Amino acid sequence: MASDSEKSSPDMSRFITDWMKSFSDTMESMAATQARMFAFPADAEGKKAAETGKAAGKTSGKTAGEAAGDDNGRGTRKSWAAMGNTWQKMFSALMAPENLEANFKGAAAVPEVAMRLAQQTADAMMTLQTRWMERAAAIGQRTKAYNFENLDKEVFKSLREIYETEFQKYLNVPQLGLNRFYQERFNRFLDKMTLFQTTLSEFLQMFYIPIEKSAMVMQEKLEQMADKGDLKDDPQAFYRLWIKVLEGHYMNLLKSPEYLQTLHKTIESLVNYNQAREDFLQDIVRHLPVPTLKEMDELYKEIYLMKKQIRSLSKKVEGNQTL
Amino acid sequence: MSQPKIAVDLILKNLAESSEKSQERAKKASEVLLGPLETDLCPTPYDVVYEEDRVKLKYYKPETVKYKIPLLVVYALINRETMLDLQPGRSVVQSFLDRGLEVYMVDWGYPGRKDQYLTIDDHVNGYMDNMIDFIRKRHGLPKVHLMGICMGGVFCVIYSSLHPDKVQNLVTTVTPTNFDTDKGLLHIWMKSAAADRMSECYRNMPADLMNLGFLLLNPARLIIDKYVGFFENMDNRAFVENFIRMEKWIFDSPDVPGATFRQFITDCYKQNLLIKNRLEVGGKRVNLKNITMPLLNFYGKFDHLVPPEACELLTGEVGSKDKEDICLDTGHIGIYVSSKCQREFAPKIANWLATREADEGPDEGTKEGTKEGTEEKAASKKPARAPRSRGGKTDKAKSGKTGAKKAKPKKSAGSTRSRNTATDKK
Repeated sequence: MASDSEKSSPDMSRFITDWMKSFSDTMESMAATQARMFAFPADAEGKKAAETGKAAGKTSGKTAGEAAGDDNGRGTRKSWAAMGNTWQKMFSALMAPENLEANFKGAAAVPEVAMRLAQQTADAMMTLQTRWMERAAAIGQRTKAYNFENLDKEVFKSLREIYETEFQKYLNVPQLGLNRFYQERFNRFLDKMTLFQTTLSEFLQMFYIPIEKSAMVMQEKLEQMADKGDLKDDPQAFYRLWIKVLEGHYMNLLKSPEYLQTLHKTIESLVNYNQAREDFLQDIVRHLPVPTLKEMDELYKEIYLMKKQIRSLSKKVEGNQTL
Repeated sequence: MSQPKIAVDLILKNLAESSEKSQERAKKASEVLLGPLETDLCPTPYDVVYEEDRVKLKYYKPETVKYKIPLLVVYALINRETMLDLQPGRSVVQSFLDRGLEVYMVDWGYPGRKDQYLTIDDHVNGYMDNMIDFIRKRHGLPKVHLMGICMGGVFCVIYSSLHPDKVQNLVTTVTPTNFDTDKGLLHIWMKSAAADRMSECYRNMPADLMNLGFLLLNPARLIIDKYVGFFENMDNRAFVENFIRMEKWIFDSPDVPGATFRQFITDCYKQNLLIKNRLEVGGKRVNLKNITMPLLNFYGKFDHLVPPEACELLTGEVGSKDKEDICLDTGHIGIYVSSKCQREFAPKIANWLATREADEGPDEGTKEGTKEGTEEKAASKKPARAPRSRGGKTDKAKSGKTGAKKAKPKKSAGSTRSRNTATDKK
């Protein structure tokens, strides 16, 4: 019993052959257009060559520019046509009945990989969404004033965890070939930038907590005042009360081990990001006619040491002279 | 009809009045902010008399010189020395000049990337020592009065320990020497700060990052309340001018050379080596017992950057017999700029120096002069000046104590702690 792939193979083969033919034709016409474009001399030298070539070209009926254009065009057209033919041959070979089955299996694997990737992304999004929902549900719960233990950092922690477990590994894939070091530095830059962004978000979220908590305290205080009937008639008094409560909350937060940990983590990630960015930028600067920071730092160090030595020697000489 | 529990009508009335006032204030404020404002810093004229790399030495000359030894003021590497001459009427420098004291002040400048390798040794045994030698030579004196502010005070303490022969009297102000305290947030944070990683990454410690750190020490007051206060007073020209001057000073911050920052955090904040006499600078151990000259130690009771606990141990550790702690009821900056402290701080230092100069005798400085000092005098470049009039203290000095090196009277010996009544809190 013939398989589905075998049944469909003659049609598929014809389809691919037709597509390749039209692809080669398109390439050829593009090459011809491009050759005509390049045929016009772009600079003064080219114009001059074109003018001087007019007389000489009269015999052949073409100017030098046109002749050059023809040469360019022929060369480009030939290379495009060769590329098209190679593609056509390669696809013909791939579509040969003996290779078709393996081909289709390979082709079937592509969507599978794509599906897995999509699945991972969807899972990550679902996890994140679930935690966001949990967070949203927790908003209505009471927050304890002046207490900064077990802070709700789950959302940003989740973001970072998802990144570290699901996406970071793709940036850490070993790179190959001539550009491997450049690519690795670029990947490291992307990685550190993402980690810094998530850590900074965590830090900022923590910094917002006292505002949230002081709003809750103010609400309670206002309720109490209203119940007692001694609500202040001066709006300034409310502000002064709020800023005092806020200051108290901040003082508690800033001393907490959680804050210290987050602060240092943020600084560490900032430092890592800056270093990765500098390493990446050095690769770009290396191709410009300017010294890199690393080179300048080495030079500065040499100057610093030399100056120090000169000053020390000068003092010794001055000391000897005054003796 | 029952009486309402909440005076809603009164609240609404006040709100309406407040809204009217705000409108009026906004109208006046636009006139103030759009009009000419006098916000320049450093109104007192000075000459730059010495320059080395980025560092400059400013010289302020009084109309009449009444002290024989000039005062060198060493500011911190964080922020700038302009704070001591912020505005007319609030200038520590002007107060010194009014009393006839010649003032030299170090301007550390703005370190660039090339300065990243400069260590504490380069600042203390390099720039400071060169400047002090310059002043000694210029005045033909063996010693100078030294006054340090915050980190600059730490430099002065180190310098006085390593070069006690060049310091006549030492004044430390808001100077941290004991870093093993958890009273200030800065001390808590710095203990676990990744100074190595930061200086490795940034080379010089960025001023903006440090300023952000200082703002985060009290965000409610420094990021919110301070500017609410500004909006409430922005129709007041004098207030606006002072506020802008202060803003200019606060955010005019040079970066700190990376190697110095790293050493300061590691050796001082993390290991507290200075007060333990274990700090090494330029290969030499800093022994506080070498500080035998008179010492006056100022600090602020409400200083959240350098709390009293960080300052008050110094007098107990130095070798000086004549030493005094003064704790003012103010904060880290208020000690220099608050109007109340203006009356307490600079005059106290000037009087303290005058008393010591009188007790030391007018010729002590010149007679035991160093070679450079003697040569400088011989060349008549600038003779040392004797105090001209200092009230009762001068009379005491003139009556029989001239030329003799005299020990301090018993009443001044030992650490005396006086509490000032100034209440400005910064």
